[in-house]
Amino acid sequence: MARERVDPEKLLPLTSSVFHILLALSDGDLHGYGIMQEVSEHTAGQIKLGPGTLYGAIKRLRGNGLIVEVDERPDPELDDERRRYYRLTDFGQKVLKAEAQRISKLVSVAQQKRLLPKRT
Amino acid sequence: MLFAYPREFRFEYGSEMTQVFCDCYRDSNSRGTVGELWLRVILDVIQTAPLERWETLRKGETMKNVKRDALGLLACLAITVVALLLLGYGRKHEVGSILMFGHALDAIVTAGVISNLIIFGLMMATQRSTFRTALWSLLIVNGALLLISTLIGSRVDPSFSFPTIFIAYLVSFIFWLTIHWLWSQIRTPTEPVV
Repeated sequence: MARERVDPEKLLPLTSSVFHILLALSDGDLHGYGIMQEVSEHTAGQIKLGPGTLYGAIKRLRGNGLIVEVDERPDPELDDERRRYYRLTDFGQKVLKAEAQRISKLVSVAQQKRLLPKRT
Repeated sequence: MLFAYPREFRFEYGSEMTQVFCDCYRDSNSRGTVGELWLRVILDVIQTAPLERWETLRKGETMKNVKRDALGLLACLAITVVALLLLGYGRKHEVGSILMFGHALDAIVTAGVISNLIIFGLMMATQRSTFRTALWSLLIVNGALLLISTLIGSRVDPSFSFPTIFIAYLVSFIFWLTIHWLWSQIRTPTEPVV
């Protein structure tokens, strides 16, 4: 695929909301409200995405091939069929990993500067 | 609030955004934090809608229509100026054939200036169908002007005649509607109508 040839590093740094959306999708397919809840949970309620931020980010992530819309539903019996589910692509996974590594390096720098305690 | 976003974006994500909002509302209602939700959503719209609009404008197709609409607005203003000059000339030189249509020309000028500015503004803000926006704007503006003219004219002008004023604004409405219909026919046909 053409997207595979794009260097994930070129898309970095990701915005905070995009990073959290990708992180939420790394556990499995989710619909919009599911992503919102997951992000809120991950950040202990510090980041609450609004519908405009969420779907603006989804539009750009789909456009860049980081996520795709999927037809399969985790539990069709329990779910509202009007909902649309999104999935992280392989390229999206690579970009997410690259961003996580970038943040990890930043954390290391902060640890070296004794701003953060070193992990034992 | 969805109308703050560009049409393409609303078409793609509008129903989902509504559903997400309903889910959030239900959630907030049970926690008693509805006010906080509204504030968050309003701030979110203020923050994200201009970005989406800017992105749509950058894509070009909408920009083409913006340019055409601006050209259309200029054409409307040109028609208004011509009608105004014609009316001024007719009154100055007492040209009977022009003065006969004096009320209609007056209505065309007044309603033209007000309604075309409103139509252009609405089209920029909502990017909705040209003709439908024009139809309602012209109907409301011509109706409002007819009402104002009747209220003021019947009190201050002894020779005031309602049928004449009514026909004048009807002519104005039909005239501008025809112009907008012709304009909507040459606008980008691929544009989806909401």
